[in-house]
Amino acid sequence: MTGITSSTALWYASRATGVVTLLLLTAVVLLGILVNRQGRLPGLPGFAVTGLHRNVSLLAVAFLAIHVVTAIADPYVTIGLAAAVLPFASAYKPIWLGLGAISLDLVAALILTSLARARMSRRAWRAIHWLGYAAWPLAVVHSIGSSADARSGLVLGVLVACVLATVAALAWRLSQAAREIPRAGRAAAALNRMSARKAGLR
Amino acid sequence: MTDSLTLPHPAMASGVPSSVPPGPGLPRLLPDAGTVPVDLRAHLATHGPLRAAGGGDGLLREVAAAGLTGRGGAAFPVARKLAAAAEVRPAPVVAGNGAEGEPASSKDRSLLWLSPHLVLDGLQLAAGAVGSRSAVLYVPRNERLHIRLAGAIAERAAAGMDAASVELVTAPDRFLAGEESALVSRLAGRPALPAYRPVRGLPRLAPGRAALVQNVETLAHLALIGRYGAAWFREAGTEAEPGTMLATLHLADGRTSVTEVPLGTSLAGLLGLDGGPGPAEAGAAGPGVPSAFGPVQAVLVGGYHGAWLPAAAAALPLANAALRPLGAAVGAGVLAALPADRCGLAETARVARYLALESAGQCGPCFNGLPRIAAAMAHLAGPRPDPRARADLERWAGLVTGRGACHHPDGSVRFIRSALRVFAAETGLHEQGRCSGTDPRPFLPVPATSPATEEDWS
Repeated sequence: MTGITSSTALWYASRATGVVTLLLLTAVVLLGILVNRQGRLPGLPGFAVTGLHRNVSLLAVAFLAIHVVTAIADPYVTIGLAAAVLPFASAYKPIWLGLGAISLDLVAALILTSLARARMSRRAWRAIHWLGYAAWPLAVVHSIGSSADARSGLVLGVLVACVLATVAALAWRLSQAAREIPRAGRAAAALNRMSARKAGLR
Repeated sequence: MTDSLTLPHPAMASGVPSSVPPGPGLPRLLPDAGTVPVDLRAHLATHGPLRAAGGGDGLLREVAAAGLTGRGGAAFPVARKLAAAAEVRPAPVVAGNGAEGEPASSKDRSLLWLSPHLVLDGLQLAAGAVGSRSAVLYVPRNERLHIRLAGAIAERAAAGMDAASVELVTAPDRFLAGEESALVSRLAGRPALPAYRPVRGLPRLAPGRAALVQNVETLAHLALIGRYGAAWFREAGTEAEPGTMLATLHLADGRTSVTEVPLGTSLAGLLGLDGGPGPAEAGAAGPGVPSAFGPVQAVLVGGYHGAWLPAAAAALPLANAALRPLGAAVGAGVLAALPADRCGLAETARVARYLALESAGQCGPCFNGLPRIAAAMAHLAGPRPDPRARADLERWAGLVTGRGACHHPDGSVRFIRSALRVFAAETGLHEQGRCSGTDPRPFLPVPATSPATEEDWS
């Protein structure tokens, strides 16, 4: 295939949104780890990281939707609607698309439970939210397996960078787990931090 | 208390059906003498034995006709809550909530101390209305109060008055301990911390074990509606917000009192303010409106989850219909007249710090956001604050609203935002290195200790 024509547009769109989705999902995982450990980003108040995590995840879902819809609509290979959501139901690359379908289902579960968070128990929400740690590696393996582009060149570089960043964040998260502040002292600890940086209002 | 309260309400002159004994005048809940607690004998001599108007469903109809709303602050219609609880099987535990974590409020404590049998009557009526045999009275940790209430419960049990057994449970001395889900958590044997609550239906202690939670003052009103009926209840208050409520008043001279007022009474009358000033002063705290207890610059309505209003707004009645458009609410009836010689920003900063420290530490936006907001508020209350601090505060306030399991962030932010509006001129002064507060003594009560360990919530 050379160049974008009416017959290849959907194929390119699906590939491109797939890469963008993976980048965004990586950002979501990194921000999620940051939220979980009360980490900070330069120039952002601690609690704004939570908002960023949520908004980037919704953006990722938008790209994921386009990725899936364009893949289904693309006439080059036949991927049914069922194959997009049911694992291993696809005739084309059943394993690799199946992993993508599982990842899609997990992401859908994360989003739906988060939208309904006020209506469910915190414990159940947390349990389901842990599935995020499964959705991301599935998406990575899906990318490598279903796309030859991802095995070389720029896209491979992007993939490797995503994996390295996530592994580093996970290592940081585990190292931080030991230093958790009990909930009784959290507000006081935050207040002390604020007082220490008196002038640092921004 | 102001003079108007000791006079019978004008509506009391109207006829009462002869089959029903005339209901008490004002005050209804607290004894006339004000300080002498009512024992069981005096209680029965005044009100007679416990009666539920019409019995069974009759009480639900009567409460609906009375238009009684929860007096714990949320003003939720009691009849709707009772009707929902009556559907629940197995029958819910009925809890009287007297925790009153709000440091500026002491009306529930006063009621429990002075008129315990009205509360206990109401608890029995509510239990009867929902078919429950199990009730709980949730009260602050205070030994004298505990002994008195335990005695009152035992005396009633010995007399065979009560169908439902009543258990006393102590609340930790924390701002959020009286939050409904925190109460439920405490009843279930866990720390009194708020939780996400079901959007519909009653909160649950455990699967299959729901709780009906009503504020103790609400229960006392219920006891009187059971005896004297809806028409009597509506003789005080406004058409939309009938009845009386207990209010904790903080007067400009520093004195505090608990008083019972019909809803719709003017704030100015309650706080001793002289009439309403001209409209030119409306909108911001002015140099001070004269009151019987010293000049007043602003009024705090609804406590630390409530809102500051300029003193000019004191012409308004104590009613949600009038206060809601200004972003305020009656809440649990805390009213404070801030004297003209105090700095409203300093007062707000002290309370904001307290509210931040009272965060349960469960939701990130609350335990990270409120300390940051409190620190910025302290910065504004100090000399020559960064002019950008106000905009930062507004931005952060928007980021924490609606983001907690309970309403602690929302209520705290409502309070702080109202201060930014009402004390805007004072902020300008501070930016120039000046302050209109000449008296550095704290005005609003704030407890000294904050939670440090998990035990502080149990």
